[in-house]
Amino acid sequence: MAIATARSSAGNQARTRRRRTKNVFLWGACGLALVLLVVPVVWIIGGVLANSLPHWHWNVLTTDQQGNGGGLLNAIQGTFLITALVLVVAGVVGIAGGLYLAEFCPPERGQLLRGASEVLSGVPSIVLGYVGYIALVAGVFHWGFSLAAAVIVLSVLVIPYITKTTEVAIRNVPTAYREGGEALGMRSGYMLRRLVLKPALPGIVTGLIVAAAIAVGETAPLLYTAGYSGNGPTFSLTHSPLGYLTYAVFTFYNQPSNSAHQLANSAALILILLVVLLIVVARVVVSFTQRYSPDRQVRVPRARRAR
Amino acid sequence: MSEVTSPAVAGPAAGTVLDRPVMSVDDVSVGFGPKTVLNGIGLPIERGSITALIGPTGCGKSTLLRSLNRMNDKIRGYWRRGRIELEGQDVADSSTDLLSLRRRVGMVFQRPNPFPMSIRDNVVAGVRAHGMASRSELTDVAERYLKEVSLWGAVADRLGDSPFRLSGGQQQLLCLARSLAVEPDVLLLDEPTSSLDPVTTEIVEDLLRNLVPDVTIVIVTHNLAQAKRVSNTTAFLYNGHLVEAGETSQIFDNPEQPETVSYIGGRIG
Ligand SMILES: Nc1ncnc2c1ncn2[C@@H]1O[C@H](COP(=O)(O)OP(=O)(O)OP(=O)(O)O)[C@@H](O)[C@H]1O
Ligand SMILES: [Mg+2]
Repeated sequence: MAIATARSSAGNQARTRRRRTKNVFLWGACGLALVLLVVPVVWIIGGVLANSLPHWHWNVLTTDQQGNGGGLLNAIQGTFLITALVLVVAGVVGIAGGLYLAEFCPPERGQLLRGASEVLSGVPSIVLGYVGYIALVAGVFHWGFSLAAAVIVLSVLVIPYITKTTEVAIRNVPTAYREGGEALGMRSGYMLRRLVLKPALPGIVTGLIVAAAIAVGETAPLLYTAGYSGNGPTFSLTHSPLGYLTYAVFTFYNQPSNSAHQLANSAALILILLVVLLIVVARVVVSFTQRYSPDRQVRVPRARRAR
Repeated sequence: MSEVTSPAVAGPAAGTVLDRPVMSVDDVSVGFGPKTVLNGIGLPIERGSITALIGPTGCGKSTLLRSLNRMNDKIRGYWRRGRIELEGQDVADSSTDLLSLRRRVGMVFQRPNPFPMSIRDNVVAGVRAHGMASRSELTDVAERYLKEVSLWGAVADRLGDSPFRLSGGQQQLLCLARSLAVEPDVLLLDEPTSSLDPVTTEIVEDLLRNLVPDVTIVIVTHNLAQAKRVSNTTAFLYNGHLVEAGETSQIFDNPEQPETVSYIGGRIG
């Protein structure tokens, strides 16, 4: 500013002031957005911890529910079982779908499929649950409340999500990798595995983890399909209702008994820890597979060779 | 123009088969959809020579180069007329295996494009894909080609590192090593030094001179001095036409066509 002439410096000062105001305003907005995001998270986690820890008993992990008390073992097993099967079913279908859309599908059909997938992901989960109830539980298949019905409905719920993240992850792989592979005469399947899927893996895994978190956290579709049971899962696919953690949070909290409230709080704590665990696993997978990513250019300090 | 068909090639090329150009482009026209990009190009590529393709931007140099190893095939609307031969066989013949064509006719791009894998694995990526060496030999192969491109000293103690921590020039040398490791007969280079500093450019140019006559080289360059320094044969493309081709000294010192005179004099481009 020192070089500015006297005539323009007044204008410059006004502009500087405007810029400062804008700067303060935008930083303020950023800060506010951060607060709006962080406060509820801290509040929820703090609330769950404060409510559950004082009454925490390790035996909730080892005993089944008994009436309004007992433990959560049946629900924990149910949640794990449902989530694991959803990851298998939805993972296979979703990743295959994303791969197809990104690599093999003619553009026009791609538009159509993507639109359909978006519509599906817009259907409220309780509606999917109800459709599942009519088609799988009560009507058509007559499976009763069951693992199979729960897994299929939750899979339908998360498949569009996995497909989308897989497609995006694959499309984000630099075309230069592929070009380099082609120029070396690599077979297209080999290239797809080594130069496309591997760099896309973190994105795909992240999608899977979020899908798992959705499956862990869903309640409404499960009410219609898994039903509920206070006993541990029987591992039979049909005609056997099973418990899950979100049911415990949802139902026990409305019971007029202290032991039920404690179970609800413990279930909430376990759910949160599960989600955190999923996120940590995702991070580890990502950092392991991305050792050679161009985004990771931080030089590991090491002694330079003498020249 | 008789120079085009039989330039004085340095090297031991002798005998009837070896006298034949390793690749030849015969009356080739190329385009995308309704657009014609190259018009009736004819250019023999002599075994063990360095051919420079020069011409103003958009004249079709990359398109011609990429037609030689069929890198354009998957582009929408791409078509080609005329013959492009490798050792007397059309590169698009049904009996020509695309993968082995690309192994024999390698390509290095303008921007370095190392793969997201360790430096060692980058060098041997093609070797592995073609099963050209056993697992235990891979490190030796990597060392040999890293030495060949004079990168060994800089990376010997970090073969397991990410290639993206190398400088741009080192990355380009790595890509050259990767292309050389599959032992190509012909190496196509599309402005390989345009993002490199003069010192690294000189390293690359020295390397190219050392590669012939074992490897035949076709290099696209905007750097006329580079074309003059490294090539035996120069081809000048303009608006999709091959205006003039011949011995490099001939093209630079004694061009026949007025367009060549203007381009070399710095008036087109
Ligand atoms: N996929 C494509 N579809 C349509 N036209 C294309 C395509 N690729 C290239 N072209 C056209 O072909 C012509 C030649 O392009 P090319 O890339 O071969 O030029 P070039 O000589 O390599 O130029 P530069 O020196 O800038 O790299 C250009 O007019 C370009 O617009
Ligand atoms: Mg080009």
